[in-house]
Amino acid sequence: MAEYFTARGLPVPRELRQNPLTDWRRLTLIAAALIVFVIGLRVTNLDLSRANPEYSAQLLRQLFQWDLTILTPRNDFETFWDTAEGLMVVTIFLGIIATVFSVVVALPLSFLGARNIMSGNRVTAAVYVFIRLLFTVVRSIDVLIVVIVSAVLLGIGNAAGVIGLAFHNVGVLGKLYSEAIEGIDPGPLEAITATGANRFQVIWTAVLPQIVNPYISFTIYRLDTNVRLAPILGLVGGGGIGILLFQSINLLQYGAAGLIIFMIVITVAAMDFASAQIRRRLV
Amino acid sequence: MTAVLSLRNLVKVYPSGTRAIDDVSLDIHRGEFVVLIGLSGSGKSSLLRCINRLIEPTAGQVIFDGVDVTRARGADLRRIRRRIGMIFQQFNLVRRASVVSNTLAGRLGYRSSWRTIASRPSPEDIAAAFENLGRVGIADKAFARADALSGGQQQRVGIARALMQRPELMLADEPVASLDPATSHSVMKYLEEINKKDGITVVCSLHFLSLARRYGTRVVALKAGRVAFDGRPEEIDERRFKEIYGEDAIEVEIGPERSVPQPMSATEAALIAMAEDTGHGPPPEIR
Repeated sequence: MAEYFTARGLPVPRELRQNPLTDWRRLTLIAAALIVFVIGLRVTNLDLSRANPEYSAQLLRQLFQWDLTILTPRNDFETFWDTAEGLMVVTIFLGIIATVFSVVVALPLSFLGARNIMSGNRVTAAVYVFIRLLFTVVRSIDVLIVVIVSAVLLGIGNAAGVIGLAFHNVGVLGKLYSEAIEGIDPGPLEAITATGANRFQVIWTAVLPQIVNPYISFTIYRLDTNVRLAPILGLVGGGGIGILLFQSINLLQYGAAGLIIFMIVITVAAMDFASAQIRRRLV
Repeated sequence: MTAVLSLRNLVKVYPSGTRAIDDVSLDIHRGEFVVLIGLSGSGKSSLLRCINRLIEPTAGQVIFDGVDVTRARGADLRRIRRRIGMIFQQFNLVRRASVVSNTLAGRLGYRSSWRTIASRPSPEDIAAAFENLGRVGIADKAFARADALSGGQQQRVGIARALMQRPELMLADEPVASLDPATSHSVMKYLEEINKKDGITVVCSLHFLSLARRYGTRVVALKAGRVAFDGRPEEIDERRFKEIYGEDAIEVEIGPERSVPQPMSATEAALIAMAEDTGHGPPPEIR
């Protein structure tokens, strides 16, 4: 093939000049990836010598010898809400409430964070940049870190978990919502503007119908994620079933811990299935 | 004859430095059907959008019915806009909304923000919507979703929406460029009808000179943002044509009105062409 080009005095395209197997750029990349991997192994110094196979096997067995007493109140002071299933229900609602809070905040902010709506003049463009920066900063702080901080600020418990989860979620939903607005067809906006409608009417008539479905879809997706995250919030002081899990592990009650982990798996799987079903039917 | 629309030394320079409109002055009189022609990028779309300030002119004036559009702000600008209907190449309907709610959107300029959310459209507006949909022959599609309609039908909804404004001037930006020849004529005829019967002045940009000759009472040709020709359609001869479109251009005809037996959207036509081409039967449905 390359002769076709050389015979006519044309430059030979790169695809024809090189054998992909001997392309030094490709080989360099592969070598670099390997070097990073080897350095990583040395630095992290993975050490399995301290693991005790016998103890591990015994522990794993204990995880499946479920302690069913955590499913009922264990003394006169405990109610349904102190049982594992009661805490599981609380945990699910932690995820739901956190999602609601974050939607309430992210929904109005998302309009301010959409370039196509805010590019009108210099002031709104500045607001746009600020809001998108805010979303990025908020999003970049991981949920667990926010919950640790809010547990310090608000005290250990459900409030810390919900606030922490909602805070991070505002950043994620805000970005997703804003991008949904930026992805709309600009034609109807132009047409509705031309009818003499004001800015609010343009958004109401031309933007809203186009973003309802993506918004619902993104919200359910985040609801799913939040319910999945909620059980681990208790590990850092965020309330819910995570506290019970953390306690059981610290008290070496592996039977209880195993049952809780199983309950979390079931809940998350059910949530996953439900949200996929809803999203499929909507979109 | 009084000028309903005057452009005075209009200039539009985009931030990229492109001079889309370069010192255009025009007087358009009541009842005229003005066709804008010119190559792609000659400034037709920019000119139309400067008239109702969908884009801001850089310099010059637009005077509509004695009012300086270029100086109007806020509510004043919106009151001017609602007297100027506009239809678009891509129809620009809200695709997920019904045909009738798209049509009713033409009344937004007459309603307050509060009434837009809080109340249903008035009986008069609904009656007007059905009347206008009837005029363009698609009243039976009123409750269909806009994106379920063919291209020609969507453009007719666009016309109905613009008519809801009870406009005195109708701007049409390449209204038939996305349509096949037969449908193009049907849409152009509705524009001709509102021009002749309702006395609405029309300014319409077109690609095909044959359509301009057939429907325009006046042709304005733009070349690199300047007026290259302004006169009656029949005055455009071979020499003028080459001045407007360049030396290498050859005039192509859009088919006469009777050439295609039934209206067909561009997509339908393309699908049929593809099916005939491959010999594998009709292509799968696109959904």
